[in-house]
Amino acid sequence: MLKRPSARRKTTREIQLNLVPILDAMVTLIGFLLFTMSFLSLVSIETPFPIASSEINQKKLKEKPLQLTVSLRENDVRIWTPFDKFEPKTIPYLEEGKPDVPGLHLALIEIKKLFPTETQIVLAPYAGTSYDILIAVMDGLRAIEKTDPPIFMDNKETGNQELVKALFPDIVFGNLLGDS
Amino acid sequence: MPFYRSIRSRKKRRKINGDFELQLTAMMDILVIILVFLLKSYSAMTNSFTTLPGLKLPVSASMDIPPDSLQIIVTPEGMTFESDRIVQFVKTADSAVSDDANYAFKPNDLDEGGRRIVPLYDALIKARDKAELLRAKSRARDEKGEPLPFEGILAIQADKAIHYETVRKVMYTAATAGYRVFRFLALKRDS
Repeated sequence: MLKRPSARRKTTREIQLNLVPILDAMVTLIGFLLFTMSFLSLVSIETPFPIASSEINQKKLKEKPLQLTVSLRENDVRIWTPFDKFEPKTIPYLEEGKPDVPGLHLALIEIKKLFPTETQIVLAPYAGTSYDILIAVMDGLRAIEKTDPPIFMDNKETGNQELVKALFPDIVFGNLLGDS
Repeated sequence: MPFYRSIRSRKKRRKINGDFELQLTAMMDILVIILVFLLKSYSAMTNSFTTLPGLKLPVSASMDIPPDSLQIIVTPEGMTFESDRIVQFVKTADSAVSDDANYAFKPNDLDEGGRRIVPLYDALIKARDKAELLRAKSRARDEKGEPLPFEGILAIQADKAIHYETVRKVMYTAATAGYRVFRFLALKRDS
């Protein structure tokens, strides 16, 4: 029987994609990823062991350093400097044994505005501070959150103002040799 | 003839249609979703840090991924250096009535006025000697042609409840053994 030309061109054959090799590749890839992936995501906070500067170095310094110090005490946190560069501040704990980390962070932002080029901070926790609180406080000392007000510093080379990206990232423990 | 009929019907049931094909599309969909999830959460970490069962690490906002180094794990039960238990704490009298970490060093484990942990110091010195020997044998040299200096980096993993007093002893001991940089490890906070 004769068909119309348009009907003749029609192909009724179904094309089926062979998915088996793709499936094999995906199963292999998933197996590889599951085998090599790390389910425990660890981060670190680096701190050097403090070294006493020599007398020669101290004489070379034209002006006294800031030596910003945060002392974690049993009931409060004290922010101070041995060279009277700013007014010391005491922040009481919110709960027993739990320092007010947001309050400490805000106080340090105000100090950072006064000394934008300073990066070092001395941390002196008391002996009973838990590792959990130590890490929380160190986070509060180091990072600038997205919600924090912007702090700018002058770049002496370019003459432009640059946004400060970290608060006091260089943490040094100040009482490693102490007993308190 | 009921028996005869049943055999015939069983034969019919066994017949398999030659055109039968497994529907793989749905399975492909599931696998693609799993693959995307795994690729999203995959982190190519280069370190081989391990933890101990029961260790409760704090959470940190830090974004620094620690490179491989020697590590010490401190739990309320003891200290583990590179998979070897080197210090076993003793429980204090308060531990029976409190959930806090009530642990103490054995008197023989400490010296230098209670500041240095003797078994840890020995283990660190041993590890340092080994590292320096490997560096001396390595072809990697500095500008003067000397073996690369010992880095002296120690990663510290501690339980949430461990006190700074213990961490301080660890740092002091490590410093006396020539380790000058410490990395405090914590779990990454979900952003």
